[in-house]
Formats: sequence, C-alpha cells, structure tokens
Amino acid sequence: MAGIVEVRNVVKEYPLGKLTVQALRGVSLELEAGEFAAIAGTSGSGKTTLLNLIGCVDTPTSGEVVVAGQSTTALGDSQLTRLRLHELGFIFQSFNLIAVLDVYQNVEFPLLLQGGLSRGERDRRVREMVEKVGLTQQIKHRPSELSGGQRQRVAIARALVTRPKIVLADEPTANLDSQTGTAIIDLMKSINAAEKTTFIFSTHDPKVTDRADRVIRLQDGRIVDDGKGARAGAA
Amino acid sequence: MTGVSFGLLLRIALRSLVGHRIKGLIVGTILAFGTFLVVLGTTLLDNVERAMEASITRSLTGHVQVVSERAKDELAFFGPAAAADQDLSFIPDFRRVKEELLAIDGVEAVIPMGRQMAQGVVGNELDERLEALRRAVRDGDEAEVADLSARVQRMVQLLLLERRNALEISADAAPIEAEIEILEKGASDAFWEAFPEDPIASLEFLDTKVAPISSNGLPIFLPYVATDLHAYAKHFPHFAIVDGEMVPPGRKGFLFNKTYYEETVKNKVARTLDKVREARELDGRTIAADPLLQELIERSTQYTRHVTEQLGPRDAAAVEEKLRRLLPQVEGGLDELLKAFLRVDDGNFDERYAFFYDEIAPRIRLYRVAVGDVVTIRALSQDGYMRAVNVKVWGTFNLEGLERSALASFYNLIDLMSFRDLYGLMTAEKKEVIDALRAEVGVEAIDHANVEDALFGGDAEVEVETALAGERIDVEAALADAAEAQARASDTFDPADIEKGMTLHAAVVLSDPSRLEEAMQAIEARSREKGLGIRAFTWQKVAGIVGQFILVMRMVLYVAIGILFAVALVIINNSMVMATMDRVGEIGTMRAIGARRFFVLALFLLETLVLALAAGVVGAGAAVGLILALGGSGIPAAGNDALIFLFGGPALHPEPVWTNLFFGFAAIAAISLISTFYPARIAARIAPVVAMQSRE
Repeated sequence: MAGIVEVRNVVKEYPLGKLTVQALRGVSLELEAGEFAAIAGTSGSGKTTLLNLIGCVDTPTSGEVVVAGQSTTALGDSQLTRLRLHELGFIFQSFNLIAVLDVYQNVEFPLLLQGGLSRGERDRRVREMVEKVGLTQQIKHRPSELSGGQRQRVAIARALVTRPKIVLADEPTANLDSQTGTAIIDLMKSINAAEKTTFIFSTHDPKVTDRADRVIRLQDGRIVDDGKGARAGAA
Repeated sequence: MTGVSFGLLLRIALRSLVGHRIKGLIVGTILAFGTFLVVLGTTLLDNVERAMEASITRSLTGHVQVVSERAKDELAFFGPAAAADQDLSFIPDFRRVKEELLAIDGVEAVIPMGRQMAQGVVGNELDERLEALRRAVRDGDEAEVADLSARVQRMVQLLLLERRNALEISADAAPIEAEIEILEKGASDAFWEAFPEDPIASLEFLDTKVAPISSNGLPIFLPYVATDLHAYAKHFPHFAIVDGEMVPPGRKGFLFNKTYYEETVKNKVARTLDKVREARELDGRTIAADPLLQELIERSTQYTRHVTEQLGPRDAAAVEEKLRRLLPQVEGGLDELLKAFLRVDDGNFDERYAFFYDEIAPRIRLYRVAVGDVVTIRALSQDGYMRAVNVKVWGTFNLEGLERSALASFYNLIDLMSFRDLYGLMTAEKKEVIDALRAEVGVEAIDHANVEDALFGGDAEVEVETALAGERIDVEAALADAAEAQARASDTFDPADIEKGMTLHAAVVLSDPSRLEEAMQAIEARSREKGLGIRAFTWQKVAGIVGQFILVMRMVLYVAIGILFAVALVIINNSMVMATMDRVGEIGTMRAIGARRFFVLALFLLETLVLALAAGVVGAGAAVGLILALGGSGIPAAGNDALIFLFGGPALHPEPVWTNLFFGFAAIAAISLISTFYPARIAARIAPVVAMQSRE
C-alpha cells in the first residue's frame, strides 16, 4: 500500500547571498495514513523545511514529494493551493490566527474557502470542532482575548474542520508552557486516534517526541533515523 | 474565487479596516477630501453653467443662433470677436427660415437679429443753448437773452480754458492756437457787450466758429442688437422696461439698456456718486478701506467741468453759495468748492449724495440723451458708406438680475427696420419700390449670377448693351437712394415687413433647453433638406469668449482634481504597500490554509473600495451639505461684474446635481482601485511558506 506521504530523494537548497545552503540533502521517507509522527532534530537540521515540502508550501530543488497520491513537483500554484485546502491542515508554531476574526470565524474560514457546504452544515461543523477543542465558551472571542493554549486549540480546530487527510504542525508546543503543550499534544493524539487523521509535527522537545508513535530524526539535512525501527521495536 | 463568498471577503475587509484604523483614517481622509472636492467643484460649475446659460439665453442669444452658411466669421456676442467687424453674410428670406424652423418640434420662437456697433450723435450742449438764445432773440425776450448770453459766455470761457490746457500737452499747436483765437473772441466781455447790437451776426459767429470746437457733443458708442422688439420682449424673460415705454408696434425706435445708459449717457459726476453709493450700500465696501473707491472719487474731481459748464450764472451763483455754506473753510470759486465737495468720505457721503441730487442735479442735464429724445445713429454700412437714421429713444430696459453686470448690459436694442436701413442691404419693401420704379422706366432686372450671360451671351436670352448696363447701374443706385430716403424719413412701418426682409442671424428659443443637441441636429437637417442655407450654433458657441469661460474653468478644475488624485494615488499606494508589509504573516497564513492569489487580490481591492465608499459618503455628504447651505444663503457676486454675469444675478444659489455624486463616487472608487492594485498584487504574490516563519 502506498503511503499517504512519500518523499523521494529530496534535496532543498536555499541561496544565501553568494552561497547556497543545502537544507535537505537527499531525504527519502514514507508515511502511512493515520500515523502520529514527529520530525525531530536540532535547530537547522531541516525539519521545518521537510514539513514545508510535505505541506506543499514549498517545492523541492530536486527529488519528489507525493502527498495524498499527488506528486507536487509538477503542480502549479493554483493546484498546490487546492491540495492544501482540501487535503492538508496546518498548525503553526505561532498559531497564525487571523487577528480580525473571532474563534468561530477563524475556524469557519477554510470552510468558506472550500465552499460547497450549506450554511447550516458549516455551522454544525464549526461548532462541533470548537466543542471538541473545548472553546465553546470563547467562541466569540478574538485571538487577542485568548491564552496561548486556547489560540493553539483554535488553530487545531481550524486545521481539522475541513477533515483533511494530513495535519502538519510546526513545533506546535514551542510557544506554550509544558503543561499546556502536553495538553495540546494529547488533544492531537486523541483526534488522531478517533478520526485516523495523519499528524506530522516537527519538534525538538523530547517530552513531545515521547508521545509520538514514530519519530523521524534529522541531522544536517539528512534522516539519521526514520523511526521505523523504533516503532517496530516498540511494537 | 470558486466557492469563496463575497460575504467572507467583505467581512474580512471590514474587520481589517477596523483592525488597521490608522491606515484607514489616513487613506479615508484623502479619499473623503477628494470626493468633497469633486462633488463640490463639479456641482458649483454645473450651477454656474446653468446660471450663465440662463444669463445668456434668456437675455440675448436664445438657445440656438442660426447664421447664413455663407458667413465667413463666427458669430460672437462677447469678447474681442464681437468688437470686430464680423462678416456674417445674411439670411435673405427670414420668413421662410422662421416658418421652417417653427415646424421643428420643440422650437418655441425664431426671432430675427442683427448686431452692430454704431455711433449715436446727439446735439451738443452749446448747440442747444445757442438754439435757445436764437429763439429768445427772435421772441424779443430780453431777460432770457441776458441769462442765456451769460450761460453761453461761461461755456465759451470754460471751453477756452480747456483748449489752453490742451495746448500745453499737444504736439501740434497750430490748430489749437487757431481755436483759442476764436474762443478768446467768443469769451470776451467786448463780444457780449456788442451782442445786442447785432445778435444775428454774433449768433452766426458762435454757430459756425465756436460750436464746432465744443467737444461736448462727442458721439456715444452704441452697440446694439436689432430685432423684432415685441417678439424679443415676449420670448426673452429677463427683459423689462424701466424708464419710458416699449416701442409701440409698427414704430421705429431705440431702447437703452439701463445699465449702459447710466454708465455711458449719465453725467460723469452723478455717475461717480452713484457708483460710490452702490459700492457702499450693495457691496458693503467703505471708502476708507477701498483704494479703488478712493481713486474713483479723486478722479471725479476732474469732471467738475461736466457740472460747471451746464450751470448758468444764476444757478452757478446759487450752487456756489450753498456749497460755501456747506464748506466754509474752502477758499476759491465754484470749481474749488465743487472739487472739495466731491472729495467725499464715509462720514459725509450720504449727506453730500443727497445734497448733489437735491441742489445740483435739478440744475443740470443728468443724461446726454433723455428718454423721448431723437438720436441720430450712424453706422458704416455693408456698401462702405456711412449711413444714418434718426430714431426716438422710447425708454430704457433691464435684463432682470443682471442689472449690475456690464457684460450683460453691453447691448442696447433697436428695431429691425432701422437696422436694415443702417446695415445697407436691400429689403423686400425697398426692392418692391425699386422694381415698380424700374418697370416704370423700362429697365430689366438681371440676376447677379446671370450678369455675365446677359452681357456676353449664353442660355439666358437677355440682350443688354454695355452702354445700357452702365446707365442701368446709375439708375439703380439713384432708385435705392430714393427708397432709402423715403424709408428713413418715416418712423413707422408695417409690422409684417419685419419678416419679409433679411436678417443677419436669428435666435431660436426652445421650449425645452435640455434638448439643445437634438434641436441643433433637427435645424441643420431641416436646412439641408429645405435648402435654407443656414447653420446653427449653440448659445455657448455664440457667446464667444464668455461661453468658453466655463469650459476653461472646467479644465482648471479637472486639472486640479487630477493633481490631487495623482498625489492621493501616491499616498494611498505607499500607505497600502506599508500595510501589506505589516500583514505578510496574515496573508501567508491565508495562502497556506488554501486562499488563492485572487482571493488576496480581491480582499485588498475590496478593503479599499469599502473605504472609498465610506469616505465617499462622508466627502459627498459634506459637499452636498455645503451646497445646500450655500443654496440657502447664496454665494454673493460681491458686485463683481463678471461674477454677476456668471451667477446670473447678484448671488449664486447652487443646488445639488445628483449625477455629480455618482461621478464623485465613481472617480474616487477608480482612484482607490488603481492605487491599491499594485500593493494588492504584492500581497497576492506573498508565498504561503512565510506563514511558517511568521510570529504573532
């Protein structure tokens, strides 16, 4: 069975003045649907770059990334946008809520971009997700009126409301205290268990990697451990 | 933007505006000011145009003027072109043109017109006194002879003084010295002591030698419009008789424009005092604070001759005595007293104005031509000769609301029949007389176009010997002169003759002025179809430089608005670029979540559009509010001649023009969209990957 994400011999280079920085140096990886996987590594190891490529917000210099059965290499901006909108959900390190919209509107936003749902269905889904992340009381609050943990919950609700196949989270706990961070990871994990949504998140926090089913370790742009052995071992 | 609702865009746009309120305030203020300026400026201009249109069309031109298509010059009622001798050819058969044009839907009236700059000659003051003196001598009225002799002697003395002054500044002294020699004799006591011995010889000397030197009878420049006076009075609503009466139907006559009459025909000293009074009472100006009024007053002291020359010895003594009582500190004679009297200030003006009209005015002739007088009008006719007609001045008229506008008061009115005599073209009735006489003496008429054929052979079988042709021309000229003399001698005519002959041009009055373009096309089409040989011009075109004024003003306004918008464009653009930079994270997030580039572009454009509409409401609201307020209070023309004309009266009462609101909104929306397009494109190009790097 083909994985939901396949990364094949991917190289990603960035120009830095006259130099070229290699962020990823020939990475290959495959993730199955429903996995709860962490990409771990020190700062500058290439974990965010790998997440960006899987999240279709960036394209590789060489190699191929296949997401939900579609190779992203040949896709244009519009098709990549469509792929992000329908197959992916994003949770950002800094939450990235739209400041001028309240909780309900932030969660509703991707549904409106997708279109096609009736107002009633949209409302039902939004309220269901808000309830799932425990923010029903704050549904009319603006991001500026919420704590860091609450904001990240909104971001999780927003990422999941379109029922994506894959949710990508870039250091989702980095801006949270450890207790809140743990609660967020627990929430993600519970959703993963209930909905079978694939979660891929980058982190350098050992307490977070401990909660992952699979930990892919990166160092200097290369995978030093793809976590399969560990998982096999655990199993 | 598949699937993305306009509601979402609008909601985010509105919330973004609230969220970025400082930027919104700056851009909104610029846009509101721009809308305010566009709506206010265009509305005021439209109102001025409407008022000016009323000024011109309801007083002088009608809505359309038709001119012969053979006219070489463009008909112009105002400006430099109007002062020049325009070659307009003429419309030979007015009746036919009138009938055809009246058949066009919306044409209310067709009124014949001619326009000419002529001279009015009135008897000079000295002539009139000499005539009276002659009557007194004939009647043997010794007291009257004594009084008039003293008046005439005084006038000659003043004339002598004036010529001596002229000698000092003249380059050619000889003719003036000759005049002085004559005047010295006429002013001397010896001459007047000898007067009773041989009054006829003395009067002969005064008539033939002295009177021609007098400059008092300078011709009056008389610009006039010749027309069917009764049709004019009926269809030009601004027209109203002020003094005297309307020229009766079938009578020849002249009507002075009241303003022109006051300005040109009235005694200069009296007119100056009137002007100061108008400035003080109507415009709220003061002598103390107004250098122009001070200069006017100072200049009036040079016109004392216009008063003193007219006072006989008894009146002069009476006035001098009263002035001396009023101004005991002033030394010198009547002239010095009068000069001191005319140096008015704000404190004594009312008293002196009343004194002048109570004590001095009744003793002088206030107007060089009085209503009821017959004036000789001389004009250079089309055949190159100076022609003259005597017409009675029946009265004066005003163009209501435009009384204080010199521009609107430039033209006087004369009947069309007198004009035809002065203009020197063959009229139908003259032609009839000539044809009758021609038949009597057996001379055949030869059409001008067939002269060559007639003389040298061709299709037309008319044989005329060369010698006869020469003779015929003499006969024709003699007949024409005879007919003209006959016509000039009479001051009555058959009103039906007005339509029979030629007219230079004609005013077309429309029942609905808003259908001007339609009427123009219909007139041109009718002319082509029926071979009327006329061309139509709008009132704006024939108003000459004045009609173009509004176009110039509009250009100036549009350039000013253009500059303002260019500046606004740059400021809004910069402001939006900076706002875009501030929102890179937000836009990146939207893009990462799945917003397409077009969504971002539309969002930015909509934000500005919403802002523009809000600012437009504020700006247009303020402009309309101001216009309504000004409509109530009126914008005063402040006595400014040109403004009175443009405002169609002493004040402009503007009304909102709703199409300008639409224009203002459209302009402001366009500017805001153009100025936002570049920053919106920058925003749309923000890569979704920046969301990963952004920090809240």
